[in-house]
Parts: sequence; C-alpha cells; structure tokens
Amino acid sequence: MTRHRGTLRGILGGVLLLTVWEAVARGFSLPAYTLPAVSDILAAAWQHRAVLAAAGWITAQEALAGYAIGTIVGIGLAGLLVVAPLLRGPVLPTAMAINSVPVVAWSPLVLLWLGVGMGSKIAMVALAVGFTVFLSALAGFDRVDRRSVDLMRSFGAGPAGVFWRLRLPAALPLIAAGMRVATVRSLIVAIVTEMLGAYGGLGWVIYQSVTLIDFVQVWSAILVASAISLAFFGLVGAIERRVIFWR
Amino acid sequence: MQTTTTALLEMQSIGKRFGAVQALDGFAMDVEPGEFVTVVGPSGCGKSTLFNIVAGLEEPDEGGILRFKGRGCHAKELLGRVSFMPQRDLLLPWRNVVDNAILAREIEGANRAAMRAEARAMLPEFGLAGFEKQYPHQLSGGMRQRVALMRTFLFERELMLLDEPFGALDALTRSMMQRWLLDIWQRHRRTILFITHDVDEAIFLGDRVLVMTARPGRVKLMRKVELPRPRKAELVTSPEFTAIKREVLDAIEEEAMKSFVAETAA
Repeated sequence: MTRHRGTLRGILGGVLLLTVWEAVARGFSLPAYTLPAVSDILAAAWQHRAVLAAAGWITAQEALAGYAIGTIVGIGLAGLLVVAPLLRGPVLPTAMAINSVPVVAWSPLVLLWLGVGMGSKIAMVALAVGFTVFLSALAGFDRVDRRSVDLMRSFGAGPAGVFWRLRLPAALPLIAAGMRVATVRSLIVAIVTEMLGAYGGLGWVIYQSVTLIDFVQVWSAILVASAISLAFFGLVGAIERRVIFWR
Repeated sequence: MQTTTTALLEMQSIGKRFGAVQALDGFAMDVEPGEFVTVVGPSGCGKSTLFNIVAGLEEPDEGGILRFKGRGCHAKELLGRVSFMPQRDLLLPWRNVVDNAILAREIEGANRAAMRAEARAMLPEFGLAGFEKQYPHQLSGGMRQRVALMRTFLFERELMLLDEPFGALDALTRSMMQRWLLDIWQRHRRTILFITHDVDEAIFLGDRVLVMTARPGRVKLMRKVELPRPRKAELVTSPEFTAIKREVLDAIEEEAMKSFVAETAA
C-alpha cells in the first residue's frame, strides 16, 4: 500500500518537474544550449530512435557485462579474504589505494591498454562495480555473529560449511545493497569512458552531438541513459526484495 | 582403582585463564549418563567458559583432566560430539522452522529429505505443529526457543548443553517450558547439563544442582535433589523443595557477596 503511494508520489513529482521545465523553456524562449523544451527533446528522441536505441544497446551491454564481472570478482575476493584471513594484510591496502583515486581517472590508461572498443568500457565498469561490491560484501561477511559461528562449529561444521550455510546468506543484505548502488555506477562509468574514446554508445553520442552543437540530441541521449539506469536499478531492487525476504 | 568409569563426562582440576582473568580454577565434576545436572552461580563466575570447554569451543589450560565416555581428550575433539544450545536461539532467518531444526544434522551430512520428514514428525511434540513453513521472524520468543531446542534434540548426542534456554521468556511461558522439557527428557533419555540464573528452575529440573563459586569458578556446592519424578508445578512450594532452596541460596548468596565486594573494590 505505502509502496504504491510512494510510486504514485514519485510519478506526480516527475510530471510536475517536467511541466515547470517545459513552461520555463518555452516562456523565456531559452536557447537549446541552455535548456531545450521537454517536448523538443522527446520529439528529437523519437526522430533519432534508431540511432539512440543502437547507442543505448551498446552502453547497456558494456554496463551489464562489466557489472556481472565486477560483482563476481568483488564477492569472490571478499570471500577469499574471509576464508584465508592471512591475505587480508597485503590485499586490503592495495585495494584501498586503487580505490582512493576516482575510478574514471584510470580511463585514459585503460583505453590505452584495451583499445577504444567495448573491452575498455567493460573493464572500467567492472573496476568500479567490483570495488563497491567488494567492500559491502566484506562488511557483510565480517558482520556475522560470533556466537552463530561457534554454534555451527559445535555442530561440527568446518570453515567451508560455516561460509556456505552462515556467512554467505548472512552477508546477502549488505551485498545486495552494494549491488543496488553499483547499478547506477555501472552506467555512469560506461558513459564517461565512452566520452573519452569509443566507436559507439550513449557517451559517444553525447560527445559527438556537443561537437556538432546539437544540444537537443545531447539531452535525448541523457534521457535514454536515465531510463536504462532507472530500469536497471529497479530490476536489481526487485530481485533483492524477492531473494532477501526475511528482513 | 577405576571407580568413575561409568561417568559420561569427567572434569578434574580444569583451569582457564584469559589474560589477567582466571575464569576457572580447579574445577571438577562428573556427569553420569542420563543425568540432569543444573549449574547456578553468580554472574561472571565462568559458567559460559565451562560450557564453551565442554562444547569444544575453548581449550582448557594445561594440567587439567577432561574425559568423555571414559577416554581422556582435548576439548576440540568434543566439537560435533555434544549438542550445544546457546542462550539466544540463533535461528537462521532465511531458513524455515523445519530447515532450522535439521541444521546440525545437515552439517553432519544426513539426507535432507529424510531429515525433514523426521523433523516434521517431531513438530507436535515441540508444540510447533502447523508451523513447519514459518520463518523465525514470524514466531514468538517461546516458539523460537522450542525450534532451537528441537535442533538440539535432533542432533542426537549423549550429552546436551543448554545455556539458559528459558532466560528470555516470561515467567508463565518459562514454567510451562520447564515441565515440557522434563517430559521430553524423560522420553528421550539424554544427559543434560543446564545453566541457569534461576534457583527454582535449577532445583525443579535437576537431579543435582551445582553451585559455582565467584571467579575463579570452582564447585561451591553439589546438592543432590531427591525429589520424586515426574515433578509437578506445585512441587516448588513443598517443604522439601524449600529446604533445598534455602541451602542453595545460602551458597549463592555467599559467593555473590564475594564477587560484589571484589567488583566494587576494583
């Protein structure tokens, strides 16, 4: 009930914002490079739907592939540090050092190493997503109640048994929270990396349109990016609510 | 002279030190098969340390003797050999009643389907009939505790360690659970070592009541409870019960004063 009311309120807020936007853009006859009208953006998006769909598809593939790789590596690495605590010493500071620089700062290097194709975007997304998920998974694994671990041990469970039956499920809420945040990051990083060098994708469309002074097209690409991001976020959130039913 | 070969668990001059704290010192006791022994003592007297040693989670210091079924052993060899129930139910929130109850057996490698069937058949006895598909967050405190007890019972070991299993329950639920536990115990014939803060509970349940000293924990008093079984609720007001209670309370009082003085002086 409350969730539906929240959704309704969100939609109403969105409609209100778009109406004000349209009124301001039209009322003050703002030039397109400042703020184009919503109706113009929608019309342009429809007109260029084939180009935008193709670009969106490329970006979505990069984001999804990077997301999948980052999630698996992040959870796996966190799990490894839990099963082999001796690795914590060398691994954790290294991870923190890499993560202390904004991920996007690595883009030029990664483009140099992996080329201008999709590989470099996937690697960048995996890097960004991997750290987010790694840190939340590690926090999740560490949060487990010591007394629960003792109970499992008294039942004769070894470290592997404790991990599968206790640590992993107990860490799921935090892992899922990290994964939800990472959805949005995955698109941002894919698009920014595309802007720095790519053969296609929404970031590339944005960059090209700016050089062609086609600001309505920039906004259309942003629109598509937001839609994909929102859908991805919603999907992961919905899966999360299904899987973690006990909270 | 082997006079104690029948004991299930024997402990002699068991000590345990954590840094500056001597939790146990010269602790000794025997538990006979099928016996119900209750342990009371002032807070911080090392009851939990005692349980952690018997559960195999903590190794006692050098020099003590620990025997299980007549054979000397390290505490860690007891992991998986006694069924341990900690104070809090520690049910896994992502497992339903039946899957929580079979957890210990599942770890042991038992067939899941067969175990589930066995657990389902036990539900009525534990007052959980019709609740097999419920999750812990849907149950009351008393029911959660019964699921935890069921998990402990299903893990069929000769010795059961129960650490204040009813501590968090209200008085009424608690006395019902006590009679219910005695009933189950008499039918399943396990050996039980039971920690509690509640003197009435200790006497009502136990064949023997063990009173521990203030830290470092030793045996202050081992009192046999010669009250007939099955025990009824009205037993607690009988003169025999009151006499034992007087004796046990005096012993606890003395120790509680000691630890109180020690704490306020520190």
